[in-house]
Amino acid sequence: MNIIIVGCGKVGFSLAEQLVREKHNITIMDQNEETLQRAGDQMDVMTVRGSGSSVQDLRQAGADEADLLVAAASSDEVNMVCCLLAKNLGTRHTIARIRNPEYISSLADLRRNLNIDMVINPENATAVEISRLLRFPAAANIESFCRGRVELIGFRLQEGDFLADKPLRELSSQIKSMPLLFCAADRDGTVFIPNGAFVPKAGDQMYVVGQPAALDRFFVLLGRYAPTAKKVFLVGGGKVSLYLAHILDKLGMHLKIVERDEARCRMISEKFPRAIVICADGTDSDLLESENLASYDAFVALTDRDEDNLIISLYAMQLGLSKVITKCTRQNYAGIVRSLGLDSIVSPKFITASHILHVVRGLQNSQGSVMNSLHRIADGNAEAMDFTVGPSTRHLGVPLKDLQLRSGILLAVIVRGKEIIIPEGSTCLMENDRVIIIARESGILDLNDIYEDEFPFPAPGSTAL
Amino acid sequence: MNLRLVLNVVGRVMLIETLTLLFPLAVALIYGESPLPFLYTMAILAILGAVLSALPAKQSFFAREGFCTVGLIWLLTGTAGALPFYFSGAFPSFVDCIFESFSGFTTTGATILTDVEALPRGIQFWRCFSHWLGGMGVLILATAVLPSLSGQSQHLARAETPGPFVLKLVPRQPRTSKILYGIYCAMTLLVIVLLCAAGLPLYDAAVHAFSIAGTGGFSSKNASFAFYADPAVDLIVSVFTLLFSLNFGLFYLALCRRFREIWKSEELRFFLLVVTLATVLIAWDLDPVYHQGVLESLRYAFFHVTSVISTSGFFTEDYALWPHFSQMVLVLLMFCGSCSNSTGGGIKCARVLILLRALRRELHRLVHPKAVEVIRLDGRVVEDRAVRTVLVFLGCYMLILCGAGLIISLDGYSFSISFSSALASLSNVGPGLELVGPTGNFSALSPLSKLVMSACMVIGRLEIFPILILLTPSAWRHI
Repeated sequence: MNIIIVGCGKVGFSLAEQLVREKHNITIMDQNEETLQRAGDQMDVMTVRGSGSSVQDLRQAGADEADLLVAAASSDEVNMVCCLLAKNLGTRHTIARIRNPEYISSLADLRRNLNIDMVINPENATAVEISRLLRFPAAANIESFCRGRVELIGFRLQEGDFLADKPLRELSSQIKSMPLLFCAADRDGTVFIPNGAFVPKAGDQMYVVGQPAALDRFFVLLGRYAPTAKKVFLVGGGKVSLYLAHILDKLGMHLKIVERDEARCRMISEKFPRAIVICADGTDSDLLESENLASYDAFVALTDRDEDNLIISLYAMQLGLSKVITKCTRQNYAGIVRSLGLDSIVSPKFITASHILHVVRGLQNSQGSVMNSLHRIADGNAEAMDFTVGPSTRHLGVPLKDLQLRSGILLAVIVRGKEIIIPEGSTCLMENDRVIIIARESGILDLNDIYEDEFPFPAPGSTAL
Repeated sequence: MNLRLVLNVVGRVMLIETLTLLFPLAVALIYGESPLPFLYTMAILAILGAVLSALPAKQSFFAREGFCTVGLIWLLTGTAGALPFYFSGAFPSFVDCIFESFSGFTTTGATILTDVEALPRGIQFWRCFSHWLGGMGVLILATAVLPSLSGQSQHLARAETPGPFVLKLVPRQPRTSKILYGIYCAMTLLVIVLLCAAGLPLYDAAVHAFSIAGTGGFSSKNASFAFYADPAVDLIVSVFTLLFSLNFGLFYLALCRRFREIWKSEELRFFLLVVTLATVLIAWDLDPVYHQGVLESLRYAFFHVTSVISTSGFFTEDYALWPHFSQMVLVLLMFCGSCSNSTGGGIKCARVLILLRALRRELHRLVHPKAVEVIRLDGRVVEDRAVRTVLVFLGCYMLILCGAGLIISLDGYSFSISFSSALASLSNVGPGLELVGPTGNFSALSPLSKLVMSACMVIGRLEIFPILILLTPSAWRHI
C-alpha cells in the first residue's frame, strides 16, 4: 500500500519502521530536514519536506494516490487539517493523532465532519493500558480480547515457581483442566511457541491466554495473586498522567501525583479534587521517601525523560512496592531494563504503532476474515490477533489434528457463542467463531494465512481467497 | 565495519555480473569466435561470487558499509571486466586490459588500442556493453533484480548514483531501480532502431547504442562516427547523448505526464543553456576557417559539444586540430559535465549551479554582513550541509586532478597532454588533446600513468567518496 506519514516524530518514525518491514511504500513528510535525513538514512522510504497543512506539499507527497495517510505531526490542528485536505485530494483513508484532552468530548463530531477514519490518542491508549495493569498487578502486560472475555497476560517466571524447570506436559491436572493456555515464552529476546515438551526456566517471560477468572485462579496457585491496587503514586503530570488519573479516579483509587511545574499542579488539582498533588521534583529520592512512597500499592513513572523514569522506578522497586510501571519511549532499552527486574514497561509510540498496524492490515485484507484486533507482545517479537471466522475461511469443520499450521503459529483460543474453548486435536473451526492466533512473525493478514498448504506467505497487498 | 556482510553483498553482485557475461558470450558464439575468454571469466567470477555470497553475516548495514561496498564492487568489477580482454590475447599487457575495462565500466571511453576493428566481435561487444552496464550502474541493476538486497539497497544506490541529491522516484529503492532500468532499456532500444533505420548494420547499431546510452565513447570503428559521415547518424547520436545526460528523474516525470515540473528543473535549463551557448561559440569560431557554411559548422559544433558535455567522447572530426578557442570551450565543458542522476560524468551541472549561487551569497554577505540567505535549487532549499559537501567535492576534484596530472607528467609529455589526460579520465570523457586526442590513443603512456588514470576514472564515476573511504583507516576499524 502507498502510505504517507506526516510528521516524523517518535510515533511516525517507529510506525514507518514497522511498515517498511511489511513492504509498504512509505512517504514521510516533515518540515525538519535533519529528521528527514535521518529517516532516509535508516529506512527505505521517500522523504518530502513540507507541511501537512499545505495542499501543494501533500500533492507532492502523492496524497492524490495514497491508500492511507497518517497525520502524526505535533499539532492536533495540523493533523486534522491535513486529514481533511488529503481526503479531498483523493487519499482513501486517513488516521489522525489527536491528543489534546480538550478535543475528547467533541471527537465523534470532529471525526464525522472532517471525514477522518480513525483517531488515535497515544497518551490515552497508554493510560488505558496502565490502568489495566493496575487492576491486575500480577501481570507484566495484559492484552484483552473480545471485550475482556479473553485476556492474554505476560508474567515473569521466578526461581522456585512450580512452573519452572519441568516440561509443560507434566503440569498437574488441576492446571491442565483450566481454560488457559501457555501461548508464548520470551527467553532473552527469542520467542518460543511452547508445546508440551517446552521447559520453562526462571527468568522467562511467559504469556498465558484464557478466561480472566481462570487466570485469576492460576495466579493464586502460583502464589503471585495481588489484589487490584488501591493507592497509586504517579510521578509526572503530563498528558498520560491526566488521562490515567481520570480513569483511576473513576475506579475510586487513591492517587498521589508529583509534578514539578506549579501551574500544571494547580490545573491537576482543579480537575481531580480527591487526588493529593505535590509540586516537587519527583526524581528526588528524599522527596519520594518523605511522601511515604513505601506505603503505596503501585508506582507509575511518567516523566518525559526515559532515564529519570527508569531510575526512580528502580528506586521504587527497591522500596518493595509490589507494582512498578515505567513509561519508556525508547524501545532499545527494553532488554536492559527487563534484566534489572522492571517488567511493566509501557511505550506510547509502541502502543500507537500497534493500533495503526492493525488498521493497515485490516485495509490490506478487506475481503477475507475480519481481524478484530492486533496486539504486539514480547517487545514486538510476536503478535496476538483476534479474527472472526467468515464463510471464506478454509478448512471449516476439519479437526485441527488433520490440519497443518505454519510453524511459529498457534491457534490459542476459540470463542464460540458463550463458550471459551482451548483447542485440542479434535476441535474444529466453525463459521462466526472468534479465534485468537499467536504468531512469531508478522505479516498475517487473514485467517487463511495460518495454514501451511498453498499460499506460502502473503504477498504484500494480496487478499487471500 | 561489518566486513562479512560487505563481502557477502559483493559476492552476490559478482554472481549478477557472471550472468551479464552471457551477452558477449552469445555474440562470440554467433560470430563463430572462441567463447573461451568469457567462459574462463565466468568460471572465476562464479566461484568467487558463490564463496563470498555464502559467508554468514549479521544484518547490520549502514551508510559506511554502503559506501565501502560500492567502492569495492567497482574495483572488483573493473578488474573482472579486464579478464576477457586478457584471455583473448588481443591486448599488449594486463595493465592495458585493466585500463580498457575501467574505461569501459566508468563510461570513459579512453582506449589504448590502435586498431579497434581488428578485435574479435565478442570482445568489441563486451567493451561497449560494459559502458551500458556502468552507465546506469552495476548496483542499481543488482538492487533491481536481487530482492535479497532490499535491506541494503538504499545505501548502495545512494553511493552509486551521481549527483549531489539522492534520486528516488518511488518510496522503495528496488522499485526505483526497476523503473530506472526500464527507462534505460527502452531508450537504448529506441537508439538501436533509429540507427538501424539510418542504415547501420544491426551489430554496429547495437554496439554504438550501448556506448551512447552509457555516454561512454567506445566504438567498433577506428574513426568512431566519422566512419559513417552521415548527417542523420550525427543527429541521432547528438540528440541521444544529450538525452542520456539528463536527469533520469525527468523522464519519469514525463512518463507521469507532469511536464510542468520538468521545465521547472533549473539544472535542465542551465544544461541546455550551456549546450546552446557552447555550440554557437564553437560554430562561430570554426566557421571562417574550417567548414562550408553555417549549417555545416553548427553540425560539427553541436555533435562535439554534446559528445563532450555528456562525457561520451565520440568524434566525427579531430577536435584536437581545431582553433584553440574551441578547444578551450570543450575543456571547460569537460569540467562541467552532464546533469545529476544521468549516465554522464563530470562535476555535474547541479553542483556548478550550487557553486555559483554560493558565490553570489558570499558576495552578498560582503555587502550586507548580517544578511541571512538560503540557497535554492528548483525552488527547494539546499541545506547548508549539502552546500558544504558540494564545495568539499569540488575542492577534492581539483586536488585529485592536479595530483593525477602531476604523476602523468612524469612520462615527459607536454602540459596539455598530461593535464587533459587527467581531466578526461576524471570526468569520464575519454579522449584528451594533442597526442591523446580523439584520433589518438593512450598506448604511449607508461603503465603507472595508465593505472593512475584508471583510478581517476573510477573516482570520477563514483564521485570520489566511495573510493576515498576505502583508503580511510577509520572506516575499516570497529569504531
